[in-house]
Amino acid sequence: MARIMKPSRRQILKASAALGAAAASGPFFHIGPAKADKGELVVASWGGSWAKALREVMFDDFEKMTGIKVSDDGPPEAAKVKAMVESGNVTWDILDTDVPAILTMMKNNLLMPLDYAKIDADKLAKIPKVLHHSHAIGHKIYSFNIVYNSKTFPRGKQPASWADVWNGDKFKGARSFNFRGGIYPQLEFALLADGVATEQLYPLDVERAWRIYDKLRPLVTKWYGSHAEAIQLLSTGEVDIACTVGPRGISAKRAGAPIDVDYSQGKLAADNWAIVRGAKNPEAAHQFINFALAGERQAGMSKRDPYGPSNPDAFKFLSESEAADLTTSPANIKSQFWHGVDWWSKVGPDNKTEAERQTERYAAWMLRRI
Amino acid sequence: MSAGRLALWLYGGAIVAFLCLPIAIVAAVSFGPSVIVHFPPAGFSWRWYANYVGSGPWLAATWLSVELGIAVAAAATALGTFAAIAIVRGQFLGRRAVEFLLISPMVAPTIVLALGLYLLLAPWKLVGTPIALFLAHTLVAMPIVVVIAGAALKRTDASMELAARSLGAGFWRTLWYVTLPTIRPALVSSAAFAFLTSFDEVVLAIFLGGPGAATLPKRMWEGIKNELDPTLTAVSTILVVVSLAALAVVELSRRGERSRQA
Amino acid sequence: MDAAPDLNSGGTGGGGGSAPAASPWRPRPDWLVAFALVFFAVVYAYPLVRLVAWSFWAPGFTFRNFAQIVAEPAYLQAFYNTVEIAGIATAVCLALGYPLAYLMATTDPRPRMILGALILIPFWTSVLVRTLAWVVLLGRNGIINQALLAWGLVERPIPLVFNNIGVQIGMVHVLLPFMVLPLYAVMARIDPSLVTAARSLGASPARAFLAVFAPLSLPGVVAGASLVFLMALGFYVTPALLGGPNEITVATLIEIMVRDLLDWGSGAALGLLLLAGVASVFAAGAVYAGAGRLVGAERA
Repeated sequence: MARIMKPSRRQILKASAALGAAAASGPFFHIGPAKADKGELVVASWGGSWAKALREVMFDDFEKMTGIKVSDDGPPEAAKVKAMVESGNVTWDILDTDVPAILTMMKNNLLMPLDYAKIDADKLAKIPKVLHHSHAIGHKIYSFNIVYNSKTFPRGKQPASWADVWNGDKFKGARSFNFRGGIYPQLEFALLADGVATEQLYPLDVERAWRIYDKLRPLVTKWYGSHAEAIQLLSTGEVDIACTVGPRGISAKRAGAPIDVDYSQGKLAADNWAIVRGAKNPEAAHQFINFALAGERQAGMSKRDPYGPSNPDAFKFLSESEAADLTTSPANIKSQFWHGVDWWSKVGPDNKTEAERQTERYAAWMLRRI
Repeated sequence: MSAGRLALWLYGGAIVAFLCLPIAIVAAVSFGPSVIVHFPPAGFSWRWYANYVGSGPWLAATWLSVELGIAVAAAATALGTFAAIAIVRGQFLGRRAVEFLLISPMVAPTIVLALGLYLLLAPWKLVGTPIALFLAHTLVAMPIVVVIAGAALKRTDASMELAARSLGAGFWRTLWYVTLPTIRPALVSSAAFAFLTSFDEVVLAIFLGGPGAATLPKRMWEGIKNELDPTLTAVSTILVVVSLAALAVVELSRRGERSRQA
Repeated sequence: MDAAPDLNSGGTGGGGGSAPAASPWRPRPDWLVAFALVFFAVVYAYPLVRLVAWSFWAPGFTFRNFAQIVAEPAYLQAFYNTVEIAGIATAVCLALGYPLAYLMATTDPRPRMILGALILIPFWTSVLVRTLAWVVLLGRNGIINQALLAWGLVERPIPLVFNNIGVQIGMVHVLLPFMVLPLYAVMARIDPSLVTAARSLGASPARAFLAVFAPLSLPGVVAGASLVFLMALGFYVTPALLGGPNEITVATLIEIMVRDLLDWGSGAALGLLLLAGVASVFAAGAVYAGAGRLVGAERA
């Protein structure tokens, strides 16, 4: 499976209570998670503006076209999916999540293999092979970037490389990096900061990367647990530079926050559609995924939330200005690299993936007093 | 007043200010008009309250918390009062040990309770439902009832009950018409505190709640982590008002007790 | 809440054996406890048994989960962090709480009532509200830093939150009433004439306090300190929201184990160790000061 795709990451551990809200009104003993019965789909996503866009661009039209009702729920945490599958009470059909979560769930046998025969061949031909996965398919491209407070650093004076981010003398200001929330330690960026060339990143020199990570520690004033938190820290001025998802920065910038993104040396990854093992409605789930992979649908999503479409057809439906600050725009994509899923998902003799091993090490590293 | 006494009052005043002022400042900030938190606020506005009232998720969370709090208050007060009556008026062996057991969730680390309850409830498919929160909150609210009702029972003597029984009243009649009315103020306090315990509880709500069971504190927790917008200060102020109301109920019931005894 | 007993109406709730009269009920109401016991068996005892089972199971009986914790210095660091944070919070709470409780115990009913109310109101205010208050106050652009900058006391904002300072402030704020209430309960029962007698025998105020009042208040100190310390050991919300890497406590580590690493075995083992720590502090405090004083504060 590892060879099949490249991108990765994990997004917001932000709970999307916003979406479950409709379900949460009414007499208290009758409330339960949305039920996936016949003729109904439950899509678990990470909430926020993306989930709102899914409702407008995808769910409403899909309901009209097929008569299949779509409910939204989430967040699709691996622990929740595990509890669902193991208890035999699978209430979600489709997950919209990142590769680390997909890999964790595959390892725990929580996903259903995708039946590619049920997806239109012309769509599959256009979506890069790197995003085709045995149990998931990439639909939404995002990237980890240098996201900064544009009041502290006016455009042109911003940190424009990871070496700049690591340089606390040249770029004064508080940093925020991810810790927890299922986001991997940013070992690639540590190596890039230390002068390793993008092409020579993988396999990662882990020991070297952690040594460089040590140097980051005094510069970071807050380790964020979700990308929403990172954006919040930037917009309230709690930090000046954050290593977080660029498209979220762009989205905040469009909303008027003093935030901008430098795409240099960014790490590209994708969110995926996947079907939960034991989903009650696999037929409809495939039907939905096929529907959602259309270029026109993805373009509609990108208009509302500036992520990159995985189906290049989408650009036919986007104006030049709409396409310009998408992470997959020709100008932006060329300064970035694809996350090395192969390396991160490699299983060692201890039966742990590199991702698991480094995540454990991250927790231990964080607890060490430096 | 001696100099030492004055110094003591200044010290005590400063500490009380440390306890109360942050809460007062949050309340003040909640009436500010700007997105950026300023103190003192730059003006007066209901903006963040309007935001709260206009938000489906916040209101849904509020109603869930209210419904949950009422259910928990009822269950915890009933279970706890019965237990307290048995412990104080009964004579079974190990009453002390049982009382100790029933009070212990008060000091047990909530995260450990959350872990254990998750393991209990996951196989029953109850995690993420309000029932999980109802059970968990009743567990942590009951000790307060046992303590308060137990103390009230110890203060009242049992001769009235004896009289009622000797006049031929049945067990339940005695309980309903003699014992419970005697400790009514304690029952009101117990119920108020049990409600508040559930209404304010965070850790169990985070671990055992879900999108279909997001209480007000759970949403606040997520808000503090991810959004930190001033609506949170409005919600906080509402929580403070609920606490004040519950304390007022307790105080009034105690006054009632005193005036009746007088 | 103007009278002394109201502040600690649960303070006498310890001894089940101290019922004023033997039960007059026939049949006795003993069996009424069954409802609570059944509920506790299902929702309290059984989950803890499950927890023990999980911590020794991986699959098959094993000490692996515990061995893993002991073998990893970083995990031990979390225990150290927890004890350090709880210890400092306890000491600060005692330093702040003792004079306040003394003030309450030795003042007139009316100011005592006001002080009591001003302690009980924050006590019963949501922990989240109070934590949010500190985020708003202590942040880089928070109210305190705004003021310090405006008054020219600092040139750039000083880090007050997401570090040890933030956690300690937040912890003390939440835990202080747990110190004051048991202290006050004990002090209110100290006969003031004892101190007067010492004074009339020629002791200085300080000596009278140290020789007479302080020793008599010791049970309150022990009760308050053990209560605050054991509450602090299991605290989750404040370190998680106001702390940084050096404030990762056992409670947070449990959450990391379960949520991020999906390692329920280690999470359960950590939970068990935490529970054992809290239980031994409780037992020690209860032996000295009586269990009733420990829980008399009416709220956990």
